[in-house]
Amino acid sequence: MFALRRWWNQYALKAGLVALMIVAALGMRENGGAVIYEMYRWITRPFHPGPAREAILQSSYAQELQQRLVELESQNRSLRQIVEGESQPLPGGTPAAVIGRSAGDWWQQIVISRGERDGITPDDVVTGPGGLIGRVVAVSPNSSRVLLVSDPTSRIGARVSRSRATGYIRGAMGQRVVMEFFDKIPDVKVGDVVVTSAYSKLFPQDIPIGRVVDLNLSKSPAPEVTVELTAPLSIVEWVEVVPFAPKAIDVPAAREPLQEAIPRNEEAAPEEGDRTP
Amino acid sequence: MTAARQSGLAQRRRYRWINIGVVIGSALVCTLLLPMRLPGMVLLGVGPSWLLMWLVVWSVQRSGVEGAIAGFILGLIHDGLTGYFPTHTIGLTLVGFLTARIQKQRFIQEDFVSVAIIVFGMTVIAQTTMALQISVHQLISNTSPYPGLPEIWLQHQRIALSSAILSSLWAPAIYYPLSRWWAHYEQVMTPPGG
Repeated sequence: MFALRRWWNQYALKAGLVALMIVAALGMRENGGAVIYEMYRWITRPFHPGPAREAILQSSYAQELQQRLVELESQNRSLRQIVEGESQPLPGGTPAAVIGRSAGDWWQQIVISRGERDGITPDDVVTGPGGLIGRVVAVSPNSSRVLLVSDPTSRIGARVSRSRATGYIRGAMGQRVVMEFFDKIPDVKVGDVVVTSAYSKLFPQDIPIGRVVDLNLSKSPAPEVTVELTAPLSIVEWVEVVPFAPKAIDVPAAREPLQEAIPRNEEAAPEEGDRTP
Repeated sequence: MTAARQSGLAQRRRYRWINIGVVIGSALVCTLLLPMRLPGMVLLGVGPSWLLMWLVVWSVQRSGVEGAIAGFILGLIHDGLTGYFPTHTIGLTLVGFLTARIQKQRFIQEDFVSVAIIVFGMTVIAQTTMALQISVHQLISNTSPYPGLPEIWLQHQRIALSSAILSSLWAPAIYYPLSRWWAHYEQVMTPPGG
């Protein structure tokens, strides 16, 4: 008892400080570092990117338009076969500046300058010059954190826009991502454009993702191809946040005549999404 | 005589609070540097581990327990900035503890170069604990979103090496001001003649 009291007399201040720090750190962990990111945004405010580098990104934008064109052509062909249309246009998005990169080396994230106050909620979809960038995983009042397409935990339902072969895309920590097909013998060629699929729960359909650059169709258990992202993730400075709520899981119900050509086994799709809690 | 002692006591109390401010402030600066990518801070898409550098500088002059507690707290904060899995707390707690132990055995003298070397080794250790967590998750869980083991350890090579090189190069920038301040602080806090 005496020893305990002596210890307390000697270390009361230190123990109090340590307890305080641990509680503060736990709080910071719980709200996803919101305090830090708010402070970060405030400090880096003078350095936020202006429209100066827009010229560099122009070429990516042209590529995106080309891809959209390919996609629209393919859609137009299918629509001619049936009478009624299918997709509704996306609602308008919020432009946001990229103010930071991922704070950890094992994650592929960016920090953007808009948050809760601008109406951004988790699960919103982020696009940019070149197509899909990622989705919002955490928001603070004035900034939010985006999980990029290239993160290894990211999963996106995708399809080849020319042949409508479906599969999913997983990140590989770089500008190139891997697309795995549900079909054993998918119709895919180098140069094909890949867009988000109608079966995707987390993303609206028909957003351009990238272009096929390498084939590995003999891969087991599922054939896979390498896709080069058209959005330049490492230099992108402006993005657009599109409000989106994840769809309910009703894959068979959503089946429309247009998708009849898709093989049956896509319902065995692996869990889409990411592991970031 | 008593007046001088009184003023000495007041000065020491003031210095104690300044020291707390310096410790928290410098750790905060390191945290704010994490999402930043300034020129000279990126190698193969990887930035320096600022919190780890701060932790090494903190731990070299302290006991193992103090180092481990600081590492745990910084790990929690870092987790908040990225995501809960893989967690930074394990790696940083280990680094805080080990750094303090190394110094005890007097293997390495304390100066710029040796701090840079310690930071290099500790970054590799911390990144290895991250890769190990991911590997274990990949082996245990069937629905693990992570790629296969060869790919994980290839990434580990790239991340650990570039992060270690960058961190050891930037370590003196944190070590120098902090060690100067703590040397000054010790000088003020030791009672005269004691």
